[in-house]
Amino acid sequence: MILELLTIPAVILILGAFLLPLVPERARSSVFIVFPLAALGILWSLPEGSLIQVPFASYELHLLTVDSLSRIFGTIFVMITIIGGVYAFHLKDLGQQSSALAYAGGALGVTFAGDFFTLFIFWEIMAAASTYLIWARKTEASDKAGMRYLLVHIFGGGLLFSGILLHLSSGGSFLIENLEETYTLANIFILLGVGLNSAIPPLHAWLADAYPKATITGAVFMSAFTTKSAVYILIRLFPGWDILVYVGVAMALYGVVYAVLVNDIREILAYHIVSQVGYMVAGVGIGTEMAINGTTAHAFSHILYKSLLFMGAGAVIYATGKSKLTELGGFAKKMPVVVGLYMIGAFSISGFPFFNGFISKSMVVSAAGYAHFETVMLLLILASVGTFLHTGLKLPYFTWFGEKKSEFDVSKVPLNMKIAMGMGAFFCTLFGVYPDLLYRFLPYAVDYQPYTFYHFVEMMQILVFTFIGFWLLRKKLEGTPTIALDTDWLYRRPAKLVRLVFVKGPNELFGLAERGSLAFVNKVSGLSKNPLIYLIPKFAMEGREIKSDGFSATMSAALAFILFGFLIVSLIILL
Amino acid sequence: MKTWHWIALGVVFIISLILEFFFMEIKSPHWWNSIPAFYAIWGFLGTVAIIYISKWLGKLFIFRDEDYYDT
Repeated sequence: MILELLTIPAVILILGAFLLPLVPERARSSVFIVFPLAALGILWSLPEGSLIQVPFASYELHLLTVDSLSRIFGTIFVMITIIGGVYAFHLKDLGQQSSALAYAGGALGVTFAGDFFTLFIFWEIMAAASTYLIWARKTEASDKAGMRYLLVHIFGGGLLFSGILLHLSSGGSFLIENLEETYTLANIFILLGVGLNSAIPPLHAWLADAYPKATITGAVFMSAFTTKSAVYILIRLFPGWDILVYVGVAMALYGVVYAVLVNDIREILAYHIVSQVGYMVAGVGIGTEMAINGTTAHAFSHILYKSLLFMGAGAVIYATGKSKLTELGGFAKKMPVVVGLYMIGAFSISGFPFFNGFISKSMVVSAAGYAHFETVMLLLILASVGTFLHTGLKLPYFTWFGEKKSEFDVSKVPLNMKIAMGMGAFFCTLFGVYPDLLYRFLPYAVDYQPYTFYHFVEMMQILVFTFIGFWLLRKKLEGTPTIALDTDWLYRRPAKLVRLVFVKGPNELFGLAERGSLAFVNKVSGLSKNPLIYLIPKFAMEGREIKSDGFSATMSAALAFILFGFLIVSLIILL
Repeated sequence: MKTWHWIALGVVFIISLILEFFFMEIKSPHWWNSIPAFYAIWGFLGTVAIIYISKWLGKLFIFRDEDYYDT
């Protein structure tokens, strides 16, 4: 049984999180990578089906359910754990390394969960482990952001769990299966819980709040797991739910609008996660075989290029200590390798031909077209204009190329960070050039050819004219030293009031009650003094002070014993 | 941008037009396929719209000082 558990990829990584502290520090970064490699090997050797069942109360937990969909998601999660491990190779921070492994384990556990309880447990492991990747930055801002992140995710977990309980109590299946498109309370709760992790507005603000404040290496893992594991669950539970089409399009554009407004480079990237996940959510909503394939492929591509972009932004922060467009600029020549590799990520996310965004995004967009969602299709193309505009043009231009806006030194970026970026860039290009490497592992048979004249024409015209638009209006896109309000306002701004009403107020009230009751007890205990004190006041004899209630310790014990004996005897007599 | 950059962009655009008019086949037709160079127009107008609408929304109610949450 124990050995069987070790065939669960999630267990291997979580076990790794516990074993890592036992490994000497200098070997830890290498050992880190061994666990995801082992998980990768195992997950490709597993047959399909529900492989491990464990009885739990009156239910049977399905800990390891493998099919083509879970396998492809599991593969990309493991791949990014390896790349992230290389990126963090120079790190000597056990807490971050262990929590990154546990976080990856949580994501894999969600991917291979066959039932709702298993799903929920791994869901919460993800939330807890990822929080530490924010706290490990050890600044005041990251402390607070981490706490907000944790609270929001606990809330989201609560929504999901409430939904699951309602679902089960109304006779729903314990297994994770497609839910019928009816808006019962159970379905709404589950959708909200999963929607929160997918960063669907207005439940998305945790993402743009926390990711820019996480550690340099932590943000790379975060950009991969939480939202994409939620997309996976959306595919499992809600394929073809019409509402998701519109929600997805709104997300895609929402992220684009905010990416214009924010100043922090990782915040721009974070809003583009919202935007890119919008394509996937829309794909789930369309729900055709092509759309589900597109969503899966896009999640796969997205994890590769988005982590590459986060690695590039992390390298900038590592080298300069700065993260704002209004403070950077003019040092592209000092880190040409990082700029080059970042641009491969940028070309990928923008959908340049021969990079992996092209082969997956076009699939979702085409699926919208084939399913006759024409407006949806046009709006998704519009969002991809915004993607190139920000991630491909604005961010690199003002970070590296524009004029230098403040004084800073550019220190050397560790080699392992560049190698990890190289690995990301390699895969972004590989899958772009040979899409079949990815297509053959998608959940449905693929009858789709990305490299047609139509798609070439489409992307060439869009990219060229987006570039021209950017160049003419680039002054408008310059960062401003401001922040952009988002729905986290709802819980950040009233925090003081909430603290007053729910923390300080009750605290003061309890303090008052405590002081009052102590004073009362003092008064009452004064009344119950030994009456002899009043009858025989203390007096002096042979120079010694004699107190009427002042016995020696032995005498006290003897008296207490006599009193105790008296009580026992009287009890025996009375009874 | 230097002149050759503009020329390069122009060349790419012209190639795309040649492909559009002589080689492109349309598998799933949409109403915009009858507009020549539609994606170029959409790309350019989209860029302009994204920048202006976002900035307008930002000024309307989204921008705040950096220490907004600290005070």
